[in-house]
Amino acid sequence: MNWNCAQTEERLSDFLDGLMSPEETAAFSAHAESCVDCSRLLRQIAGVVNRMQALEQVQEPHGLIRKILDSTLGASEQKQGWKRWFNWSPSLLTPRFAMGAVTVAVLLVIVFAAVGLTPGKIKRADLRPMNLARSANRQAHLAYARSAKFLNDLRVVYEIQSAIQRTQDQSPSIAPEQPQSRPDSAPPSNPQEKSQTEPRPRSQLKSGTMLAWIVVPSAASFPRSAR
Amino acid sequence: MEPDAQLVQQCLQGDGPAWEELVQRHTRRVFNLCYRFTGNSAEAEDLSQEVFLRIYKTLSSYRPAFGGFPTWLTSVTRNLLVDHYRRTRRDRMTDSLDDVMPVLEEKRSSGRMPDKLAQAAELSIQLQRALARLSPELREAVILRDLQQLEYNEIQVVLQVPEGTVKSRINRGRIELARVLDEMGVRPD
Repeated sequence: MNWNCAQTEERLSDFLDGLMSPEETAAFSAHAESCVDCSRLLRQIAGVVNRMQALEQVQEPHGLIRKILDSTLGASEQKQGWKRWFNWSPSLLTPRFAMGAVTVAVLLVIVFAAVGLTPGKIKRADLRPMNLARSANRQAHLAYARSAKFLNDLRVVYEIQSAIQRTQDQSPSIAPEQPQSRPDSAPPSNPQEKSQTEPRPRSQLKSGTMLAWIVVPSAASFPRSAR
Repeated sequence: MEPDAQLVQQCLQGDGPAWEELVQRHTRRVFNLCYRFTGNSAEAEDLSQEVFLRIYKTLSSYRPAFGGFPTWLTSVTRNLLVDHYRRTRRDRMTDSLDDVMPVLEEKRSSGRMPDKLAQAAELSIQLQRALARLSPELREAVILRDLQQLEYNEIQVVLQVPEGTVKSRINRGRIELARVLDEMGVRPD
């Protein structure tokens, strides 16, 4: 098969891509080996093709896929996005969340009460650490003073009760004195009976005194305004 | 991995994740085609978005019998690139590829030396500049064949021209590219 330079140039890609018949390939190769220009052209084109095919793919810019998805699925994605904001809402109905919410509420009430804040009337200044500390200190003193006052009142009531009891105990002891004037009456031999005639309950008085000891100094340690 | 045709069917039934899979699978191919044709990364990015928007809108017109999904995708991309080329012809008269920022090539081998990497990047830029000096017909034929590595019959489908024309354009494109590189003093062999 005869082959010339024009044919070589025209069929270069067919040769490189293997699109020739065996006869054509043989004729092409024979001509390229004998012709310097065609041989050089073949090497040059083969080099370009190899380099092009070996060229690595360019990495797409970061975020391009996201942009494409936004421009195509954008509307539905956005809708799903809004829905996603409320995905947590069913969890409000679970017992665990309810228990947690109640616990937090109770804790807040305790903290507010301890700090002396009224939930509806909280000012910005109230939340300063210094004001919170002062408020908590005042609340603690008030609570202590109230409890001291309560114990003091209790002591007074107890003392009154003791005094009444003592009076009641003394009045029956006067009554037996009248029979004592009678000569035939024997002196009480029973120690229990004797004990009934004594001024009495030392133990009650003692405990009352003890209570006073506990209450009075602590109550006295506070200013009168606090009480 | 599910075939493209199956993913397309799922997309047509409103399956969002299927579309996401298609986009992730083919974005690089589309972006590279756009980048090699325009030589500009920002333009290629905008064009890639346009391509997928068009694909998304015309997905129902895809018929597997006419060729694979990548061929159809390439065909849509090529048509959009031609439109873009015609639209921006006047702007390009005053434009220069020297202003185009080079895009770093993806590293396939992690053990590559930095100087080799720099050489590859340099050659990529030179080839890009040489491609830009080809006529659009020859450029797209060379890109489709040697960069996208499509078969001749696939290129025929994409370009909608006879087989003889495809062969002729590829051959002339390669010879022209070699001549331009030679003028630029680049010896690819």
